Amino acid sequence: MSGRKEDALSSPQPTPRGPLVRVFAVLRRIPVAVSVVLVGVPLLVAVLGPLVPHDVKPGMPYAADGVLGTDGLGRDVFGLLLVGGRTALGMAFGAVVLAYLVGGVIGLVAASTRHRWLDELLIRPLDVLLPLPSLLVISVVAVGWRASALAITVAVAMVNVPTVARLVRAAALDAASSPVVEALRMQRESWVTIQLGYVGRAVLGPVAADIGTRITLAVFLVASVNFLGLGLSPTAPDWAVSISRNREGLLLQPWSVLAPALLLVAFTLGFNLLADRLVHRTRRPAEVTA
Amino acid sequence: MRSYAAGRAALAVVQLAVLSVLVFALTSLLPGDAADLRFTETLSPEQVERLREQLGLDQPAAERFGHWFGQVLTGDLGTSLISGGPVVDIVRDSVGATLVLTIATLAIVVPLAVALGILMGTRENGRLDRTITSITLALSAIPDFVIAVVLVAVFSLKLGWLPATWIGGDLLTSPVLLVLPVAVLLGRTVCLLSRQVRAGTINTLNADYITQARRLGVPRRRLLFRHVLPNAAVPGVQELARTGDTLLGGVLVVEAIFAIPGFATALVDAVETRDLPVVQALTLVLAVAALLLNLLADLTCNRLVPRSALLK
Amino acid sequence: MSDALNRRGFLGLAGALGVAALTGCGSGQSSGAQPSAGGRLRAVYAGGGAKEVLDPHVQSLFVDLARHKAMYEKLVELGPDLKPVPRLAEKWDHDGKALVWRFTLRDATFHDGRKLTAEDVLYSLARVADPKVPERVAQSSLAALDLRRSKAVDPRTVELVLAAPNAEFPALLAGIGTQIVRDGFTDPTKPIGTGPFKFVSFEAGRSMVAARFDDYWEGAAKLEELHLLSADAEARANAVQGGQAEYANDMTATFARTAEAGKSVRIVAAKASTMQAFVMKVDQAPFDNPDVRLAFKLLADRQRLVDVVLAGRGAVGNDLFGKGYQYYPEGLPQRERDVEEAKRLLKKAGLVNKEIEIFTADASAGFVESATLFAEQVAEAGVKLKVTTGSAQTYSKDLLTKGVIGNHRSGAMPIPQYLTDRLLSKSPFNVTHWRKPEFDAAFAAAQVQTDEAARAAKYGELQKTIRDDGGIIAWGLPDYLVAVSAKVQGVEAAPPNTLDFGRFDKVWLA
Repeated sequence: MSGRKEDALSSPQPTPRGPLVRVFAVLRRIPVAVSVVLVGVPLLVAVLGPLVPHDVKPGMPYAADGVLGTDGLGRDVFGLLLVGGRTALGMAFGAVVLAYLVGGVIGLVAASTRHRWLDELLIRPLDVLLPLPSLLVISVVAVGWRASALAITVAVAMVNVPTVARLVRAAALDAASSPVVEALRMQRESWVTIQLGYVGRAVLGPVAADIGTRITLAVFLVASVNFLGLGLSPTAPDWAVSISRNREGLLLQPWSVLAPALLLVAFTLGFNLLADRLVHRTRRPAEVTA
Repeated sequence: MRSYAAGRAALAVVQLAVLSVLVFALTSLLPGDAADLRFTETLSPEQVERLREQLGLDQPAAERFGHWFGQVLTGDLGTSLISGGPVVDIVRDSVGATLVLTIATLAIVVPLAVALGILMGTRENGRLDRTITSITLALSAIPDFVIAVVLVAVFSLKLGWLPATWIGGDLLTSPVLLVLPVAVLLGRTVCLLSRQVRAGTINTLNADYITQARRLGVPRRRLLFRHVLPNAAVPGVQELARTGDTLLGGVLVVEAIFAIPGFATALVDAVETRDLPVVQALTLVLAVAALLLNLLADLTCNRLVPRSALLK
Repeated sequence: MSDALNRRGFLGLAGALGVAALTGCGSGQSSGAQPSAGGRLRAVYAGGGAKEVLDPHVQSLFVDLARHKAMYEKLVELGPDLKPVPRLAEKWDHDGKALVWRFTLRDATFHDGRKLTAEDVLYSLARVADPKVPERVAQSSLAALDLRRSKAVDPRTVELVLAAPNAEFPALLAGIGTQIVRDGFTDPTKPIGTGPFKFVSFEAGRSMVAARFDDYWEGAAKLEELHLLSADAEARANAVQGGQAEYANDMTATFARTAEAGKSVRIVAAKASTMQAFVMKVDQAPFDNPDVRLAFKLLADRQRLVDVVLAGRGAVGNDLFGKGYQYYPEGLPQRERDVEEAKRLLKKAGLVNKEIEIFTADASAGFVESATLFAEQVAEAGVKLKVTTGSAQTYSKDLLTKGVIGNHRSGAMPIPQYLTDRLLSKSPFNVTHWRKPEFDAAFAAAQVQTDEAARAAKYGELQKTIRDDGGIIAWGLPDYLVAVSAKVQGVEAAPPNTLDFGRFDKVWLA
């Protein structure tokens, strides 16, 4: 069964089985281009949007003025989209970077140390922390530091630290026990050379794959927090806040909800597709068990 | 095996104890207390002050924690600072709705995801595999709340086919209330799980003993159900246990949108109203559930694949 | 008073017409329909989770008020202009100095079959005043009542004596948390009142079920069963649109706009019956300077705030609470926007190019939105208003001490009560920090004035002072919106906290 190779290249016009299948077949065929566009558009909007001069006179709530109409506060939806990506994507990226800065260092040190106690000291507390529900951490931070982008970013990062640390540690241990390292060790290479030169590089593969899925998850989490009103101020232009606040006007002015939703979905979809390819290239080592 | 179990239990006890200290410390960091929360424009500051004394909130934090901990050891979860009623009632009431929701979701998710996963795995890189993979990839990229907003708009507001809220309905008489919430929770869980099962199936199919068995002429169906299915389920079960925490976030979104008086809502409410005993109790329940779930997952995996060295 | 009685006299048809006139849409109401008995009505209110209570003297949320209104009654209620109207007391008078009051009780029956007596009234008021239970909400408003000297004259007459004269005493008995319970009532989980519905079951944060009380003194309700449910705004909207509820309280203007496009839901609007405002602390810089206060009042673009934040569902405010209510001063000019004059005042105060923080929170619909919008309007005069968001749950308390300017929303209440609760030196909710001994004295003098016209004149003066010099920028008077499904008849548009608001004994299902 696995022997049946797909004839993607040999037959230029595969028989389509239905519109949906065709769409997805096409999606699958040119994934890189599609996913780059899907990721690129929201990313460009998020990065460059705030720089675009866009000054529209505020109108009435849920009116049809402008390209995409107005939102519940009479603000131009298109103008909001331009400035709303910075928090929607920026907070998620920030959280993942922070999670890797903290968790990655813990994992690497724990894996590379020759002192068992240090490993235990670093990893055991994470075991104890594991049952702490991330929902609790986030709601406490959200309630305590109302409407602070930084606080939410840190909370989302903290929730990710234990898993990141474990993943990095497992990947590093995996690499450290490989025959290559044994060989290097026998050649009396220095510890630093081995760790940075080989183990560090070997860890990069699984880390890259993990970052792919983790960023999508972080975007989800940040967006959910904002959607639930636990995060940014209700008048923030953030995409998730816009979806949340304008959904009661969905039937009056659909774009105020659909436009930010489409940007968010485009990003996560594109990112998923890219991450999927990455995983296929660099087969992940054995899953880390909790 | 016995020492493993003992070690595991000991760790669990330590985890729970540390957890309650942590939760107490975390919530104590919040500005204001339950007496402040009961402030209304018609209560004078003196009345609020007297209330604070009655609730024991003027005591030092360590003392309050000690008091609470002593109570819990005797099996008493205490009284809510907000309602004044027993915490047990709040826990019981909120767990019920969420449990129904979760079980209904899992009852659909697990068979569906396993079936899809095996279907994909046995046709690795075939057209069907690629189509389903694409669909699940795409679906799992849509945030829960976007799915929920769209489903409600279409099926409740526009078409009027399905109820969009649990208000005014009774689950026993109208199970249709479950349709939209479950549909929202379904999407991402099925995607995540089926992909794990797919990977498991592929791994198993490529294993030497399967190749060997096939060469020996073991029927395909028998091979699939007796050998591939249990092995492929392992990563799935583990994933399920591991993502339980993430799923709770989705449950909160669903509870919020469909006005389901459930666990996640109760937890966030309790944090917002600084109702410490309720926060503590709900977190404990959740932690115990998570620990049991993980244990169950490990044991299941051990049964499904006795040879595996999961329980080192 | 008699006016109010007459109005109640021919309900049914007149009530229905009243709604049509008040809502201004006049649609959907089949005014020819005969009231029919029976059926179940599910009404949804904003919930309070575990905070919800069954004790009628501890209420604070709308859903609590609705629950208690169905089962209990007060001696006095408030009419549409917030003027006291008779309820369990069919009439009252005082000794000419407003110190000793006599209330004549109606022939009403409790749910357990016993008749209402003067002892029940005395017991209820003593229960409210119990210092051991600090949460009894009417404790401070009824503090002037001297229960030791009050007595039952006969089973149908009760004499209440005050520590100091107060011509507004009947209105205080119409305040929240003043319900009459039965003598010896100790267990709030087994409610027994004189109201039109009998208690069946209650689950905090979710629902209460009540059944028709056949011996209700004003005639049994039409509905057989009443369900009062709790849910947030989105769920209320979905429930009433999806037919899972027949009545939804406190709806948003956006919902009203969506609903009015369809046919299944009708909006009942009590026009301009609440207040949205910004409040400045008059004892803190820069708002300790009257010029700055006036400048900010002049900077508010009220029409735009009403158009956007209230989506047009409301009237512009004139920096005073209680438009249309008893004692509201007539003939005040509407405050208009004047950016140039504001600029001049701000320049004089040296505030141009300075930054001030406005403290807001998502505690009530439109708070953060109006603060954000107001910041833009203030910016036109060269002052930066930085919007800081606080915790929604503790906002009303935090506002007492935090921030120099913030948001304030007030429901309907008699004007003297508003002044008592918010603008006296000892007021528990004095968010503007308006503490002026001469103002307190003038208010006390007005309250003992037994002649209504003279009292009104004095209140008028006090309110003018607040409008010109106080810290309240009352920019808008939102309509209070209730959504009912098309088959629900007999729902009257009434300001919240008044007799006809959230009243289900006259409602029927067509």
